[in-house]
Amino acid sequence: MIDKYAVFVPNLTNRAENFTSGHRACQGCAEALAVRHVLKALGHDIVISNATGCMEIVSSPLPLTAWNVPWIHVTFENAGAVASGVAAGLKVLMRKGKIPEKRIVSVGMGGDGATTDIGLQALSGALERMHKDFLYVCFDNEAYMNTGIQRSSSTPYGAATTTSPAGKDSIGQHTWKKNMAAIAVAHDIPYVATACSSYPFDLQAKVIKAVESGGPAYLHVLSVCPTGWRIPSHLAIKYGRLAVETGVFPLYEVQDGKYRMTADIPKLRPVRDYLSGQGRFRHLTDTDIDIIQKRVTKEYDKLISLHKSNNG
Amino acid sequence: MTKNKNKKLMRGNAVVGEAAIKAGCTCYFGYPITPQNQLPEYMSRRLVEVGGVFIQSESEISAINMALGASVAGARVMTSSSSPGISLKQEGISFLAGCELPCVIVNMARGGPGLGNISPAQSDYFQATRGGGHGDYRSLVYAPASCQELADLTMEAFDVADVYRNPVMILADGMIGQMMEPVTYDNYKPREIPPKDYILDGAKDRPSRIIKSLILNPHEMEEFNWKLARKYRIIEKNETKYEEFMMDDAKVAVIAYGTAARIAKGAVKRARNDGMRVGLIRPITLWPFPSEIIYRRAASVGLFFVFEMSAGQMVEDVRLALKGESEIYFYGRPGGIVPTPVEVQRLITRQYYQKGLI
Ligand SMILES: Cc1ncc(C[n+]2csc(CCOP(=O)(O)OP(=O)(O)O)c2C)c(N)n1
Ligand code: SF4
Ligand SMILES: [Mg+2]
Repeated sequence: MIDKYAVFVPNLTNRAENFTSGHRACQGCAEALAVRHVLKALGHDIVISNATGCMEIVSSPLPLTAWNVPWIHVTFENAGAVASGVAAGLKVLMRKGKIPEKRIVSVGMGGDGATTDIGLQALSGALERMHKDFLYVCFDNEAYMNTGIQRSSSTPYGAATTTSPAGKDSIGQHTWKKNMAAIAVAHDIPYVATACSSYPFDLQAKVIKAVESGGPAYLHVLSVCPTGWRIPSHLAIKYGRLAVETGVFPLYEVQDGKYRMTADIPKLRPVRDYLSGQGRFRHLTDTDIDIIQKRVTKEYDKLISLHKSNNG
Repeated sequence: MTKNKNKKLMRGNAVVGEAAIKAGCTCYFGYPITPQNQLPEYMSRRLVEVGGVFIQSESEISAINMALGASVAGARVMTSSSSPGISLKQEGISFLAGCELPCVIVNMARGGPGLGNISPAQSDYFQATRGGGHGDYRSLVYAPASCQELADLTMEAFDVADVYRNPVMILADGMIGQMMEPVTYDNYKPREIPPKDYILDGAKDRPSRIIKSLILNPHEMEEFNWKLARKYRIIEKNETKYEEFMMDDAKVAVIAYGTAARIAKGAVKRARNDGMRVGLIRPITLWPFPSEIIYRRAASVGLFFVFEMSAGQMVEDVRLALKGESEIYFYGRPGGIVPTPVEVQRLITRQYYQKGLI
């Protein structure tokens, strides 16, 4: 159903562009698209603390900027910490009557490297402290793309990157993708969700829910990167869909601890549909793909049973 | 000149990696940051071939501390980064110095402060030569100016780190890391390394050892600091390196290191062609700094022309070295600007005539 209308998404949601065109992301970058959707849903009363990464670099070559909202670029490992400070600063100014009382959302954002590796400590601290009106968004393109496609702990098993090269003795990345959403859930925060820019309505709805939850909230957004995944630049949306339809990247939300699957996938497609055609997986053998299929099925079934027990 | 058949055209970052492996480095822990990424990439492929261990850590803090761990275990170990990442490593470097553990740390520096940019810069001089981290310590700092020197100094760095049980830093920049030049690894003359009788590798059939830098008793801490200081004096005496170029009759001495020294050399040659008596002193170790030769040259040199790709850091060491004996002119280009030899020569010429050195 959504497919029919996807092309009209910009018309059907907030028309204001707070992440404007003219930035320097690669052609077909779905991470830039994800940022654009998140900002449409967030509106103007926000402060973004943006970790170093593709989205920061492509959007802010001074004196130019793609941001129509208050935005600060922060150290790679500290989006969670700076966003905590922003939340605290705004809170005290409102408490002292220095600025009018209203909801201003402090938004931390970073890539998968900034979030699941180097910034995990700062993010965990922020979630544990239960900051109000606090949202953290991880734009996960499954590697350190800005520095030239190095593996991160969010890189999927079997993917070739420049520091997990595939070869005779190496399958490429040899560990499984870190389950960052589950780590966020373990902090017992009001709202956690996964999303993908190939499902823009779902993504925007989750942003709004995250804000309404009062925070802290965590969103993990799969952001297809044609450059790093080695796919043609016009196929980012398709591969985002395939990630969801094969169960590789399930869409769900966890509200006050309750899991709910949010994409209607009656029957999962085989993971092969997703893996084939991506340069980073081209070396995988049938046996490798079987191993991945088993793991995906197992993880997906776990989510389904959580969904069923929470919504039974 | 006889052609060296063992010369290979390689990129600076890869040269560091190959030199490390040739010097027996078996552990490398790194983290992506431009402009040093070819080094971890090279190590991720190459270390596997020699049975070593490559790990891309989850942060620079983790990388330097993994390096500390491997060093404690007795392995030859290296880590690398560029400016912001080197800042994160400082606590670990201080612990390496405090625990007297060898480790080679590579900084392919870039413009700063903050995230700055990825262009070549020399603004990490203070950080590198003043210890960088907390406490009374020093790291030996090499400043290579070519790919060949990257190879030679990297190999030597491992030996020096082991001999003195001290962290050693290679301070270069994006320019040297990215450029390609022919190199040979045949210049390496391994030094004699004292037995590693301090490492932690299990304690079956021998008393167990402890490595620490926590010394609560201030008297003992003072004693330890003096012990380190004595070691640093020995390093100053034995390990100071510099190059002099056309200095014999020089009236103006250009002082520059690394990339800036390459540019300065071009400027000096041009000035010589124009009949000016100009020479170059190039510190190869930044700590220990070649203060003595600079001071000695003050007797015959009329002006010391310090050129850095920073707003002025090494110039302070030159000032200290000269003890007020001579005049200094400073020319700096911070922020990742790489000036041309022509630009530098123009300034040298102006100074030369203004000072009436003809
Ligand atoms: C302390 C520190 N270490 C390393 C870097 C270099 N660096 C800048 S962006 C980046 C990769 C970002 O990866 P990710 O967070 O996944 O974002 P992406 O570029 O993939 O969107 C790295 C390693 C840095 N800026 N600071
Ligand atoms: S490298 Fe990937 S994430 Fe970065 S701008 Fe290009 S397509 Fe987007
Ligand atoms: Mg990424």
